[in-house]
Amino acid sequence: MTGVLSAATLTRPDVEDFLFHEAALLDEWRLEEWLDLFTIDCVYEVPAPDRPDDDPAETFALIHDRRPMLEQRVIRLKKPTAHAEFPHSRTRRLITNVRIISADSDQVRVGANFAVFRVRNGIEVTYVGRYEYDLTCEADGWKIRRRKAILDQDVLDPHGKISIIL
Amino acid sequence: MTTPGTLVVDDREKGLFRVHRSAFTSEEIFKREQEEIFGKSWLYVGHESEIPNPNDFQTRRVGGRTVIYTRDKQGQVQVMLNSCRHRGAEVCRERRGNRKIFTCFYHGWAYNNEGRLVSVPDGDRYSEAFDRGEHGLFKPRAETYRGFTYLTFGADAPALETYLADAKHLIDLVADQSSTGMYIVHGTHNYSMRANWKLLMENSCDGYHGFTVHQTYFEMMLNLGVTPGLVADQGRGAGWDLGNGHAVVESPELGMPLMSEEILAATVLRRSQLVKRLGEARTKRMLNTTRNLIMFPNMAIIDLNFGIQVRTMFPLAPDRTEITGWQLMPNDVSEALKRYRIDNALTFWGPAGLATPDDVEGLEQCQRGFSSMREIEWSDISRGMSSQQPTAVDELQMRCFWRQWNASMTGASAIPEGSPYDTSYLKRPAAKPVLETSSSGMTQ
Repeated sequence: MTGVLSAATLTRPDVEDFLFHEAALLDEWRLEEWLDLFTIDCVYEVPAPDRPDDDPAETFALIHDRRPMLEQRVIRLKKPTAHAEFPHSRTRRLITNVRIISADSDQVRVGANFAVFRVRNGIEVTYVGRYEYDLTCEADGWKIRRRKAILDQDVLDPHGKISIIL
Repeated sequence: MTTPGTLVVDDREKGLFRVHRSAFTSEEIFKREQEEIFGKSWLYVGHESEIPNPNDFQTRRVGGRTVIYTRDKQGQVQVMLNSCRHRGAEVCRERRGNRKIFTCFYHGWAYNNEGRLVSVPDGDRYSEAFDRGEHGLFKPRAETYRGFTYLTFGADAPALETYLADAKHLIDLVADQSSTGMYIVHGTHNYSMRANWKLLMENSCDGYHGFTVHQTYFEMMLNLGVTPGLVADQGRGAGWDLGNGHAVVESPELGMPLMSEEILAATVLRRSQLVKRLGEARTKRMLNTTRNLIMFPNMAIIDLNFGIQVRTMFPLAPDRTEITGWQLMPNDVSEALKRYRIDNALTFWGPAGLATPDDVEGLEQCQRGFSSMREIEWSDISRGMSSQQPTAVDELQMRCFWRQWNASMTGASAIPEGSPYDTSYLKRPAAKPVLETSSSGMTQ
């Protein structure tokens, strides 16, 4: 994504390129590069499965990481002592139904659907839901200010855990 | 197959304790647990704060049955089985809400929230022998202690308070933390694991696994900066037998990650208010130890100072468990402190947190390891058994659970271990003049 960066000129194929690139980084466990896609004031959220519409800051949500905790999550996942992900799962993300929901001068709100397959020890689970992104334009390209993964599963059965980045 | 009588070996003389691994794998034992344990014990249903107003309800699974946990129009807590007396369908299919009447959609039988059958469509087609009074929703025995509601399907269960034994003191230590009550935060963690439920009961009070399983969590704390606990020098902690299979492990206060000046000030203020209300000794026990309480058969309340986790675990199969986690919050703290506690709680305990996934992984790995059960029959739980006062990283608390488990399954008696729970913190010091000058200058 080079050239003139502005919310007004951003097209859906641009957004798709961005999201597909992000998904590839995650599936390839290039988590430090993935982290570089975020702004300093970012938030990564997964709401409580039984309260998908409630603010993760005020509910017993699944994930509510600001930048410092998101960095720690990435540092942790790269360690062999992050037992739930050692050895690493294989993951495959299918991202579809990408839409630009709104755009103002410096921020774009994007929606997309996801299916994330996690395979490990001969066991496969699928996380299904939708993403909400707030993307903002910085000097070196588009960055994620807010990334929210809203699960359709209301019980994490048989998943047991979300040890990967969703 | 090994008979239940030999599943738990409790050798006090040699200080050896072991559990036969078929207790985690056998279909027969799983079925026997349903009868002897889940059919007879007190089982946690919910916290009154989840149904604050008249006609509020929550539905959930307890002991394999769906249950309606509701407050009737008089404000009384009601626990009813969610099954129509006509043909069995669930009469309430919503997870939560506010209703005076639960109507079965199948044939339209309707019940009020005290469980009474109030409407039968085309009802005159029944004979005189048909008694509507006998066709209310089934209400198991239910009792509430300090806001925590339990049910039992056992006719012979003692009163709840008797059953809880010394675990009552530990419930008090969380229930008394707020002058305006404790409440369950919105948002529930429902997840499962591919491992036996008893492994999670052990894990919920296991001080020994902390630094191996959760090394990355503690490294995160060090990376972000830790604010040390408010009370230093607390020794090595202790495990306590609370009676009836309940037990607790108490450890020194944990440091707090990412604490701002504002949060630190709110924490200090909260402590000073509690000291004023309850005295120093009780406040120290309440706020400056961590307590992993397990209540037989399948509940844990874990207070790690930065949050309070309420957890149940029900077996779905010998190697599958349904887990629910809630967060208990003091009502009388600042909004900023509430947010701080929520963030810490979900970062540690959530199934997407930085700690719990590693516990689940550990327990699932144990279950996988049980595939070698013919060659390796026993698990060892002897740690600290011959010492006078088992520490926080010993295993007394797990042995208490297993002795009650064995007693429930075989009729053997569960002989206590160690000294009774130390409640000296409940004694208020002799009255002395209040020295206003020594107050910390905090204002309300």
